Amino acid sequence: MDGLVAQAPYLAPDAPLPYCRGCGHALVVRHLSRALERLGLPPRSVALTTDIGCVGLADSLFPHLHTVHTTHGRSTAFATGMALAEAVLEPKGLPAQAGLKPVVLIGDGGAMIGLLHLVHAAQLNVDVTVLVHNNFLFGMTGGQHSALTPLDFATATTPAGNSTPPLDLLALLRAAHAGFLARDYATSAGLDTLIAEAIQFPGFALVEILELCPTYGTRWNQLTGAALQEIAARQGYWIGKMEAEQERPTFLKVWRQDKETRKSKIENGNSKIEEGQTPGFDFRASSFDFPSGELRVVVAGSAGERVQSAAALFCRAALAAGLYTTQKNDNPVTQGTGFSLSEICLSREPIEFTGMESPDVVMVLSQDGWNELRANGTLARCRTETLFYLDSELPAAPQCGLPAKAGQVVRLPLRREATPKGAALAALAAWQVQAAILPPGVWDAALTTLPAQRREEAARSIKIGGRLATGTAPCA
Amino acid sequence: MVAEGALAAGCRFFAGYPITPASEIYEVMMRELPAHGGLALSAPDEISSLCYCVGASLRGLKTMTATSGPGWCLMIETVQYALMTETPVVIALVQRLGPSTGGATQGAQGDVGLAEFSTSGGYTIPIFAPSTASECYELTLHAFHWAERLRSPVILLTDKEVGMTTEVVDSGTSEAPECVERSMATDAATYAPYGFDHPGDVPAFAVLGGDVKVTVTGSAHDRHGRLRKNAPEVIEVLLHLQHKIDAHAEAMARARPDLDPNARCLLISYGVTARASRQALRILRAQGRAISFLQIQTLFPVPRQALEWALAGVDNVWVAEENLTGQYRAALAPFLSGKRVHGINKVGSLITPGEIARAVEGWMD
Repeated sequence: MDGLVAQAPYLAPDAPLPYCRGCGHALVVRHLSRALERLGLPPRSVALTTDIGCVGLADSLFPHLHTVHTTHGRSTAFATGMALAEAVLEPKGLPAQAGLKPVVLIGDGGAMIGLLHLVHAAQLNVDVTVLVHNNFLFGMTGGQHSALTPLDFATATTPAGNSTPPLDLLALLRAAHAGFLARDYATSAGLDTLIAEAIQFPGFALVEILELCPTYGTRWNQLTGAALQEIAARQGYWIGKMEAEQERPTFLKVWRQDKETRKSKIENGNSKIEEGQTPGFDFRASSFDFPSGELRVVVAGSAGERVQSAAALFCRAALAAGLYTTQKNDNPVTQGTGFSLSEICLSREPIEFTGMESPDVVMVLSQDGWNELRANGTLARCRTETLFYLDSELPAAPQCGLPAKAGQVVRLPLRREATPKGAALAALAAWQVQAAILPPGVWDAALTTLPAQRREEAARSIKIGGRLATGTAPCA
Repeated sequence: MVAEGALAAGCRFFAGYPITPASEIYEVMMRELPAHGGLALSAPDEISSLCYCVGASLRGLKTMTATSGPGWCLMIETVQYALMTETPVVIALVQRLGPSTGGATQGAQGDVGLAEFSTSGGYTIPIFAPSTASECYELTLHAFHWAERLRSPVILLTDKEVGMTTEVVDSGTSEAPECVERSMATDAATYAPYGFDHPGDVPAFAVLGGDVKVTVTGSAHDRHGRLRKNAPEVIEVLLHLQHKIDAHAEAMARARPDLDPNARCLLISYGVTARASRQALRILRAQGRAISFLQIQTLFPVPRQALEWALAGVDNVWVAEENLTGQYRAALAPFLSGKRVHGINKVGSLITPGEIARAVEGWMD
């Protein structure tokens, strides 16, 4: 290992550093280099991920490491992506130790603009190490104050001293369950050991390094030799390594452990309808009269009353009959209140336009549905030939002002007989019985696509719809 | 079908954040990707979603995220980073009514300009726009193919009406392209992460964490990824970013023409409005009118050859799209000089076949 390091030093001891004279960044890169050497990490197993600011100049100083210079504040998020990818690369047989360790260099400005990324990386406990270079201001852009500027500290934008209390990054990330949190001074002799410990830590680790910007920090503030210690004491900052609340497995470990459990959970417990499953019905054996062109149906009711799932089941029945169908749903942005509607097209040919210029059949199951059809203009676009199925609890046809001519309005006690949740399916079943649009047997085929626990209830609604249809003639 | 296409294309990493009408893609990927040996993850916002994808892509994975207009706005910073660092990534942008949060459950084609013209400097981001569920599948495969082939972000631009409408699909009729793997660096000694001989070449890729030293940067850089100011090579690299797209424009071009050699009128559309347009075409032709139709699937780079063929002998052009000012019509304008160009535009609901037919009839009569 020593041989490898000797061949590929992380930071050449005599490398000219691009920082201002006296800048803490120079101390940090030397500490980082010593930490990497101490750990003996192969240079190609480290991705030095740098943020925007003077802190981002470090890339070129480590010629043998992978380096990624990113956008402002986002360095932690890119590093998190790199670490997450390990979960997918793992099956290729790479042992965990041979993986990539992203080490993020970020300033106090970047830490705040990218705070969410730090919080989420800590929550996930991804194997990422973050070194926050906190020099209390934005150095590269002229010494403006940041969210980590101490109280009373003068900057270009707080000439009279900062009056907003600084964010205690460690306290915040502790609340995000970070496993390794530490704070130290750039001038501290033991910083390399602390950084090495952070890099070695399996999971998210962050070290906040306090330093002074020799160009702007010292310009407007009267600072003594012990300025950093005084500032830290005034903010009540914890110095050193914080005790972690408890040991947590890394994201990768959790992912690998969960893999099998997750798989079986999805296989056994998923009650969702199988997407793309074709109903088992041999439609080629059946011939039936389906009108040429397209048939357009609107089903409108209330949210939570299975309007859209009834329409989906009907589409599956049509699919079983060999028809092309489209189903376009609409509901307010809230999922559980107000209207819910589905627009269905049926055709022997592939369907182009999926909207409703003028519907052939309109089914209204509740006042919510009625109101929406009036509001969205569907009722105004109906023709006198449009066939209506209305729940009998709705106002009578003349009061509704329907354009329908005699014999085109069917009123059925759908909600009362089939329950509100079965009303849409019952309406579709009633229409299917009266108009004989689809061949017999297609409902059974469609029902096979439902999870077992939903099948019986749906079959009951279909049956009720059929019974209502045979007992009722269309009336005006 | 976007998710299906992504899985078939070999997508192994997905990071998402809920937003109507793109949440279905997110949910399907969360459910299906682990079974395909991949990782799907909930990000805390759209900025993180795309950053995670780019980070994972740098490690060699094919990655995708899905969002809608409001989320896309947050991603633009990172899209530019992916473009500048030549990192492959696919973004499925399912449009909804804007501006701002607009109408979450209403369709629109209002993000064409916002998607394409989102880079400082005006670099071309390839955009594919499906009009049907089958096309969602096919064009997602194309999006991955070109993202990997060109080391570029690629957008799959769909909308609520295409993305959330359920329809019957003839499986087996899809034209699925073969998905390439990105071309990898072979010689560590001579490798330059942004190296090219000719400006239209695509640099070989080296995986972050592999044996070949990788330098990634979003700042103006030379072929080796070194920050340089006022160096001619930096400008060469910037020009190359556009040249590599231009050089593959015709290979990327996808359009579905339905041309009448006698037609002097051409209807152009894309995405969901192409469906209404095809139906309008039937209405107009049934009336005995000579009219051609061109559905453009590769919105950018603009498929010039297909456009040229469709424009032969044509003096009037209609561009139908569900936005206020004709965003794609404006993008096509340089290619339509000498033609009389009409917009068919609407916001808030689907443009109907009747509306398109009436607009064209009105002029022809």
